Amino acid sequence: MSRYTLLLLLNLPFIVLSVIGAITSYKLKHSTKKRLVVQIFIWLVVLIGLASAEYIYNWLFQHQLTQTEPLSLFDVIQITAIVIVFYIANRSHTKIENLEKRIQDLHQELSIRLSGKNKS
Amino acid sequence: MKTKPPLKICVVIPAFNEASVIGDTISSLINTFKDTPYSLEVVVVNDASKDKTSDIAKKHRITVIDHILNTGAGGATATGLSYAEQNNFDIAATMDADGQHAAEDIINGIHEIIKRNDDLLIGSRLINKEGMSRTKIIGNKGLSLITRALFGINSTDSQSGLRIFSRRALESLRWKTSGYEFCSEMLWRARQVNLRISEYPIKAIYTEYSKSKGQNNWNAVNIVKSLLKQRITELLG
Repeated sequence: MSRYTLLLLLNLPFIVLSVIGAITSYKLKHSTKKRLVVQIFIWLVVLIGLASAEYIYNWLFQHQLTQTEPLSLFDVIQITAIVIVFYIANRSHTKIENLEKRIQDLHQELSIRLSGKNKS
Repeated sequence: MKTKPPLKICVVIPAFNEASVIGDTISSLINTFKDTPYSLEVVVVNDASKDKTSDIAKKHRITVIDHILNTGAGGATATGLSYAEQNNFDIAATMDADGQHAAEDIINGIHEIIKRNDDLLIGSRLINKEGMSRTKIIGNKGLSLITRALFGINSTDSQSGLRIFSRRALESLRWKTSGYEFCSEMLWRARQVNLRISEYPIKAIYTEYSKSKGQNNWNAVNIVKSLLKQRITELLG
């Protein structure tokens, strides 16, 4: 198996999981349509980038725009790690944002209800 | 013949450590509203002050909402306006607790919002700049310029704390930031939900106290940072 195929196979599950997550979040009305479109666009760019990595490298090499060695196994692991970190950061950002909103709403509602109780 | 019930007006005063001035601000507001046809409720949102702001406000027999945690001016304003929405007020207004706004300007604003049939009316201190220091003018103009550049909203005083809200605005207006940057974000969100926004001139009363309490120009750096973050986050969905 070529290293480029390995790179794609290792990263594909995270891309699929992210796209499914974005669609689920939209369908459950946890996010907006705009967010869904942006998320799918970003992950599609990553997928296309990984799928055409060999072609891009060959093109750059032929046109003498890069002198680097072809993809090594270490490169495959490093790129996969970057995609995983991006996946985790993206999920965490969404979760923190939702949590922040819920805490704000809870604090607001609690303060109003307590003031009503104190009045009566 | 049945007479129309008076319009229910809620004046929200977000306050943080304002014990020395909050009493005068409330008294002035209540006295000025006495001769008007409106039914007034004053709501002080005590944003977890460390001094006696809450105790002093409660002595005036008004509604005091005590925040458990300090959230910032944006969070306190959101709580006050949420109270106004839940209690079916026709019009709500926000004003600063430090005494820089005249109660008469709130009444003028209520007249104006009814007359113009607007949803959000901003009391602009920069239409008539009298009493404002040059530093404040530069700071406020700068932030209004940034608000225009980021959100495309043209306002002469995007940071004004005196604002009048229609019932429609109370029901539809929500924002995310909780610090002073909410002033600009609110205008942006108002435009997103198609609210009618306009301005009217107010006078700013600057005392030594209000000068020391107000935003300084360095705080503008934090406001711009937060607004940029909001804009980028929104762009990314």
